[in-house]
This record gives sequence, C-alpha cells and structure tokens, in this order.
Amino acid sequence: PPCGPVENKKVLYGRQPYPDNYVDRRFLAELRRNVGVQQLRYWSVAREAGLVGQQVSCVAVFVALWSSLDGGALPPAALLWGGLLAALLGYGLHGALGGGTGGRTRWADLQSAAIFLAFTFGFSPVLKTLTESVSTDTVYAMSALMLLAHLLFFPYARPSPPGSLSLNAALFGSVCLASRLPGALHAFAMLTWALLLFALWPCLLQRLRDRAPRAFPWAAALVSLAGVGGLSGLWPGGSVLLLLTLLALTLACPLLLVRLQRHKDNIHGPWDEAEIREDLSRFLD
Amino acid sequence: MVLKIFFPQCCTTADSGLLVGCWIPDQDSAVVLAVVHYPFIPGQVKRYLTEIRSQTDVDLTVLGSWSMPKEGQEGMDSFLKDLSTIFPHSRWLQLSREIGKRGEGSVRDENEKVIIVHYDQRKVMLSQLHPVQEGVSHSKMEQSALRAVFHTVAQSHPLFFIDKYDDGPLKLTHWQSEGREASIIAELVKQGSVPVCKLLTWMLSLWSWLGSIRLLNVPPVRFISSKLSTCVQLGYRTEHLQTVSSTRKATEHMEFMRKANIFVSFLLDMALGLLLIAWLYRENRIGKLASTLVPVADHVAKELRELLEWLMGAPAGLKMNRALDQVLGRFFIYHIHLWISYIHLMSPFIEMILWYVGLSACLGLTFALSVLSDMVALLTFHIYCFYVYGARLYCLKIYGLSSLWRLFRGKKWNVLRQRVDSCSYDMDQLFIGTLLFTILLFLLPTTALYYLVFTLLRLVVVLFQGLIHLAVDLLNSFPLFAMGLRVCRPYRLAEGVKFRVLCEEEGTPLHLMMEINPIKVSAVLQYYRTPTYSCYPRDSWMALCKKLFVGELIYPWKHKTTKTD
Repeated sequence: PPCGPVENKKVLYGRQPYPDNYVDRRFLAELRRNVGVQQLRYWSVAREAGLVGQQVSCVAVFVALWSSLDGGALPPAALLWGGLLAALLGYGLHGALGGGTGGRTRWADLQSAAIFLAFTFGFSPVLKTLTESVSTDTVYAMSALMLLAHLLFFPYARPSPPGSLSLNAALFGSVCLASRLPGALHAFAMLTWALLLFALWPCLLQRLRDRAPRAFPWAAALVSLAGVGGLSGLWPGGSVLLLLTLLALTLACPLLLVRLQRHKDNIHGPWDEAEIREDLSRFLD
Repeated sequence: MVLKIFFPQCCTTADSGLLVGCWIPDQDSAVVLAVVHYPFIPGQVKRYLTEIRSQTDVDLTVLGSWSMPKEGQEGMDSFLKDLSTIFPHSRWLQLSREIGKRGEGSVRDENEKVIIVHYDQRKVMLSQLHPVQEGVSHSKMEQSALRAVFHTVAQSHPLFFIDKYDDGPLKLTHWQSEGREASIIAELVKQGSVPVCKLLTWMLSLWSWLGSIRLLNVPPVRFISSKLSTCVQLGYRTEHLQTVSSTRKATEHMEFMRKANIFVSFLLDMALGLLLIAWLYRENRIGKLASTLVPVADHVAKELRELLEWLMGAPAGLKMNRALDQVLGRFFIYHIHLWISYIHLMSPFIEMILWYVGLSACLGLTFALSVLSDMVALLTFHIYCFYVYGARLYCLKIYGLSSLWRLFRGKKWNVLRQRVDSCSYDMDQLFIGTLLFTILLFLLPTTALYYLVFTLLRLVVVLFQGLIHLAVDLLNSFPLFAMGLRVCRPYRLAEGVKFRVLCEEEGTPLHLMMEINPIKVSAVLQYYRTPTYSCYPRDSWMALCKKLFVGELIYPWKHKTTKTD
C-alpha cells in the first residue's frame, strides 16, 4: 500500500500504483505554442511576391509579342535581331554577376545555343503546318491551358534549374501559338523568344536574386511594366486587369499573409513525430 | 469370393470334352478359350498346350470339363470326373448343359458362388479396349479383369488355327472351328504390298536426299520454304508416306490405326484432287481463270488507289495534317503503280503457269488448297507491305510519344527497376524533347488512320488464308478409317462392356451376357487424330487488341509443328 501520494513517473517499465493511462496535474505542462514560427515583415514578403507577379507579366509579354507578330506590326527579322541582342546582353550580365559558371565552359554554351538554333530553324516549316487542321478556338484554349500550367508549376522558390513540367508546358503552349503565325520565319522568331523568356530569363533572375538583392525588385518591376505596356497595345482592358492583378499579388496578398500570421496557432509537444536535426550525411561515405 | 467364368458363346452347343483356357490369378476369374472333344489322348493334349504356350504369352491350362448329355454317352459323366486326376490343376471346373435349360456349373471341393459370363469370342478377339495401354501388356499384375480377358483372348490367336477340317489328333471347338476366315483379295494385297512398300520407301529416301542437299538448305531458301504453305504441306505428306510405307508390320494397335488413317485420308485426298483436275481442265476453265486474273488484280489496285485518294482528302470529316498526308499517300500510290506494272509484265505467262500449277492438284486436294493460299499471299503482297510500313511508323510514333510524355512530366523509365522514376533533365533535352513531343502528337491522327486502314485490309487477307489452312488441316488430320470402323464395326473400338442377365434362378449360377460398348464419336476424334500442324490463334483476344493498339506486327495464326527436335 502506498504511503502518501507517490509521484507518477511517466514510465511503463516500472511498477506503479497508477494505471497505464493515468494523467496527473502535470498534464499539458509540456505544451508549446508556435515554436519556430517566423515573424514576417511586410516589405520582405512583398519583395518575394514580386517574383510571382514578374512571372505573370512574362507570360503577358510573350502574348503581346505574339499578337504583334501575328498582326504584322513587327517584322520577324527585327524580332530575331532583338532576341539575339537580348541574349548576348543577358549572357554578359550573367557572367558579370559572378557566382561561378556551374561547371559549364563557354564552348558548351556555344554548342547548346547552336543546337537550339539549328533544331528550331530546321523544324519551323513543320511546326508552321502543325495545327492547320485544328480549329482556332481549340488552339487558343490549349495554349491558355498550357501557360496556366506553366504558372502553376513554376518553381518559385528556386527558379534556376527549371522545373520540367513548367518549362515543357510553356514550350508546348508557345509551339501551339507559333504554329498559327503566317510564316516559317515568324514561327522561328517566336520560338526563340519563348526560349529566352521561359528558359533563360529565370536563370538570370536567380543569379540576380543571389548576387545583387537590391537590383532584383527593379528588374521585376521593369518586366511588369513591360507586360502591362505590351498588353495595352493588344487589349487595353486586359492591361488594366493585369495591373490590378499585379498590385493585388504584390501589395495586397503580403498584407493578408502578415495579418493572418497573428492567428497562427500551432501546438507542439512531446507527442510530435521525432525530427532528425543532425546531418546524417557524415555516416555516408 | 465370387468366381467368374468367361464362357464363349460358340461353345454352348459343343460336344462334351475338356475346357481349355486361362486363369486370371488376382481376380478369381477364368477365361475359357476352347473345348477339346472326346476322343483325345491326354498326352497329346498336354503337348499341344505346351506348344501353344510357347508360341503365345498366354498361360494355357486345362480348366475343367464340359459335359453335354447326348444319347449313347451315359458313361461320360463319370469318365469326365476321373479326368481331373490326369491333368494338374489348382481348381477344377465342371460345367454341364441340360437340353432346354441354360447350363449349370459347379466347382469341385468348394462351395462358392459362381457367375458365368457369356461372350462373343470373335468380337472380343478383334476388339481393342480404350484407353489403349501400350507397352504394359507384359505386366499382367496391373490390369483389370476386363483388360486381362480381352488381352488373353486376343493373344490366343494361334489356338484358333485348328478348325474342323484339319486332320490332326485333336478336335477343338472355338469361334473359327467352322472354318477359317480368309479372303483371296486380302491375301493377294498382303503379298503384293511388300514390294510396293519397298519401292515407295526407296523413292521417298531419294526424295529426302534431294531435299537435303546443300544448295537447297541455304538460309534464304529455307526461310521462304518455311513460309510457303505448299512446301510445308509437301513435308508433311512425305512424313506421312514414310510412315505408311515402312515395311515393318504394325505390331501395336495405335500404330496400325495411324497407318490406316493416313493411308485412307491420302487416298481420299488424291481422289478429290483428281476430281478437281477433271473439273478444272474441262472446257478450258484454266484459260478463263487466267484471263480473269489480270482484270481482277487491276480492279483491286484501282480500289486501293481510290481508297488512298480518299484518305488524302478529308476522310470521314477527320482533319488530317495535309503535308504528311500527301507524303504518305503519294508513297503508297507509287507502290501500287509498281505492283500493277509487275502484274502486267507477267500477264502473258499466267495461263501457262496456272496450267502447270493446276496439275499439282493430282497430288491431292490439300496441295491444291495450299497452292491457292500461296497464290493469294503472293497476289496480296503489296497489302502486306503497306501494312508493315504503316505498322512500323505507328509503332515508332507510339513509342516515341510515350517516352517523350514521360520527359514532359520530368520522369524517365528506369530499366533496372522496371518503373518510372523522376529525373532532372538538361535544358537542351527538355527543349528538344518538348518540340518533338508536340510534333509527334499533332501528327498522330494521320498516321493512326493509315495504320487502321491497312491493318483492316491485312486482317481480311489473313482471315481468308486461315480458312484455307483450316480446311487443309481438316483433310490432313481427320481419322477417316477410325471413324469408318466406329460406324461399320463398332465392336472393334471398345470403351467398356455391359452385362445383360440371361438367367437368374435360385440354385443355379447367374448367367450374364457380355456386350461390348463402343467408344463415343468424340472419343474417336480424340484418340485417333493424326497429329499434323493445327492452325490455332496464337494470342487471346485481349493480347491481340493490345498488340494492334501498340502497333506490333501481328501474325495471328501459329503453326504447331510435330517435329520433336
């Protein structure tokens, strides 16, 4: 018989006068709330949200370019030269920012560029006649779907190694759109710009974000302005819509996030799953 | 224990004498094979029995005595009782017959129940119990009583040679004692067949030597000859003839039946072939056939060209990719043009070729059908080519599409683990992969339509060829002789026996009549079907559909060969 109240040591391997599921006054004393929740600051969140807005306006820029090619306002040769120039500029900026070449030599880069250009040029007559028999509505719907998929699956956390699905979806959508253009050269120009915008620009952006964090918001803002401006030539209502979306994304959504942080209520305790904090790679050879 | 005595029907009216037969050890039965009449000398009887025992494998002994009371032979009974002391025995039977009643039997020294089963000796001797056990005939231990009875009667052939016209020391009664069965024609055929078989064997060995010379065994020739059904049929007929013409007499039942079946079906085949020739060569039908062949080929080509032009337009309202459409359509039309030129080149020679080829029908109807099948295959060779092109293109496309779809999602196929894994691709791979994926996807409907059309055409041809092969196979493998035997002499192919009660009275043994139960017609087919190549579908329906969907080339009929390599 116990003499006096014996404290319940919470062990199951020793005999105790309490049943196994007994709880005493110390119940929930080890409860912790909101451990490890960061306090978000408004302006840093707004900066990160700029990436999302930037990507949306990228797509808008692409569509604007396409419509101007389609309408004949822009000659394809001019677009091609512009693209070449932009590529060279971007490549120079990428090198100037430093941060290593990632193991690729200049020769490998030149090879890749040559492969892209050769393939695209070689296939552009085929690509032009690809969707001849498909109705216009279907083509537009497919492209819209694909570009939406691109936006949804884009790796916003780390854009540099491009996510397969997002890049492929964007390229598929651009091929669909490019096949609607009047000539083979138009299609070639369109595809080159698609590559620049969807494949190479995120790499540069990532480099910018890492090495020159102060210049990053300005680049994002530039792209957004270009998007809004380009769209205004095509469809003024659309450009207003885009502007509103951008403002909502960049200004309103972070505000919402910060406000809602206050209501965060996570419960932690010894009942959680164990997390391994140690770096186990030292056990691997 | 019940003692069963199998008593031949022909002996129920025999005069008194000794019962000669065989004991079946395990099952407590006795088979009576013959009755030796009075007067006889016991020593001669013993000598004769030893002689027969050495000729056959049957353990012949004297089983007991048979008495048929007649006037003037009253002392017979006691005489017969004393006989039991002369002949060595473990048991002695005493059967007697009373006029007007069925027999009564008793066994000396033991008082046990006796069943007398009457059987028709001739039928039992000629019949064969199914399923046939070959090679086990030596071990009598494992046989059932019925099988032992049939076997004993069949083996005791030499016992039945002495008939009532023989002037030997012994007089026997059995199924042949009224006079031996013989026919002059059968004897003549037997005598004449030996040199004929020798000649045939020599000719066949010459033919197979010809077939095995180096020049004809070059791989391309072998490949072609394995595809042409005429050559295959020739091979099978050679094999069959070799089986039939071997001079060794067939010792076992199955071998004999096989030989007989092959021989009869061969005869039928040749008869039908000669009939076909007679019909074909009358009224210059060959000429008419030849003159309609070229217009038919032209008509088929014209239909094909119209089909291709329809495909090149907008078939059934489907939207095709115009450039690819034009390329494929023009390619196939050029092929048709080549084919028609070839046919026109051959047209002067067609009548002559057909005339000589028609003569080959004298080798049998199966040959004529095989030649027809080969001719159909040759005439529709262009359809086969189109099918192969379409299928290969489609297969490549499907394969490429599935692989590139995985690339689209950022995954790849792990060959080692046979599963789909994620993979981080390079930029170049992603770009080119997506481009190719788009192109293949939009060109898919065009290729799929061409593939569908040509596959359907090919399936029609294959179906027709399959029907012809089915007919050939039926002619080859149907066991005509066995079927005829089943219809005309059903007792020769026995499945079992049935018993009919003849006399059931108190105090006398039970008399049963044993009648032979012939095997069912479907069992005839099952046992005696000549194993030749049988055409049956290689794939199930589901597998066939899957192959069609993926674009694999289909060869739906599989030829099962009987060669055991």
